[in-house]
Amino acid sequence: MQAPLFIVWRESVEALLVVGILYAWLKRENLTSQINQLWIGAGLGFLLAGILAIAFWIAGQWFSGPGGEWFFTFTMMSASILILQMITWMHRHGSSMKKQLEMEVARSMTRSGSFGIMILTMIAIAREGSETVVFLAGIGLQQQGTSLGLFILGGMTGFGLAVFTFVLLQKFSGIISWKWYFRISEFVLLLIGGAMMVNAFDKAASQLSVYDLPEWIYSFMDSPLWSTQWLLPDNNMLVSLTGYHANPSLMQTGILVLYWATAIILCSSGSRKNRKQKNMTERSPQAV
Amino acid sequence: MRIFFVIFCLFPVYPAYAVSLPNYEITITDGKFCPEKIEVPAGQRFKITVRNTGIGPAEFENLSLRVEKVLGPNIESFVVIHPLKPGTYHFIDEFHTDMTGFDIIAKEQ
Repeated sequence: MQAPLFIVWRESVEALLVVGILYAWLKRENLTSQINQLWIGAGLGFLLAGILAIAFWIAGQWFSGPGGEWFFTFTMMSASILILQMITWMHRHGSSMKKQLEMEVARSMTRSGSFGIMILTMIAIAREGSETVVFLAGIGLQQQGTSLGLFILGGMTGFGLAVFTFVLLQKFSGIISWKWYFRISEFVLLLIGGAMMVNAFDKAASQLSVYDLPEWIYSFMDSPLWSTQWLLPDNNMLVSLTGYHANPSLMQTGILVLYWATAIILCSSGSRKNRKQKNMTERSPQAV
Repeated sequence: MRIFFVIFCLFPVYPAYAVSLPNYEITITDGKFCPEKIEVPAGQRFKITVRNTGIGPAEFENLSLRVEKVLGPNIESFVVIHPLKPGTYHFIDEFHTDMTGFDIIAKEQ
């Protein structure tokens, strides 16, 4: 019973954090149409997870081969870039849209934001969901009678736990101050986005390892720069949520640094624009 | 970021042939590995061909070597392991964590 319980919960944490944070944020900002997009994305995500799982059983050889690896590499990269877009969007939203400034810009931003929200939610759920479905279906097939009952119970409890986490996240967003909620959720989203980018490059790197590449590329991808194995060994949840590696290579470290640098640059330019707009509105009454 | 992306996209096209690497074949049968360990020379790249002979899916995994491969029943695939320092590297079947797993023992030549 523990195995399905744990797997379902663990696999759903990432998607839950992404969806939960976005939902809490949209709700607080009162963006009803985006919330609808979020639910559409979630629905599509579950559907896609099911389709992927079925495809895995039908075309298993392709999914386990290079085709499947590249497929997941690119979905992870897209999700990671969408998180960046989402963060910038959230940043710009703050003052420019709420105060109904520049309606045209606001409207187009709303549109691109909604689309991003839908796709991001869809990928987040489909990616983790498909593996859960494959796992559960596989184990479920091997169980019979009482153990099958326990297995189903385990899976359901896992799902219940996931929903509970989601509710907790919403409660949490109500308790703490807006500023801190925004900061923490931005941080968590970027952690996940960075981890996805690192994992995508890892996948790509292991596909490329088959080829006869120059030695420096191999050492760029593989040679550890340092080791924190003694302090904190690699751990499934940590790797998928933060991109942490106990023995990181130049590639892994470089990508994480680049990702966070890009995020910081995008966010600071976003807030600068906001400040400018704010100054303009403060000044305008005097002008009139 | 985009530059990296472009470079990496070009790779699969550029050297369109695979090198012949030393190959080790293993099977996973519902969490049981066969053989349960292999010995490899340290400092050499090699390939492991994994076949899932069980009735359920398997996930061949070692996070620090960034190997994570889901295999459906009766599916065969391979992973390339980069040059290892001498030591023991433990792999698990993520879907059967209660089993003993699999070891790669890298030895100095």
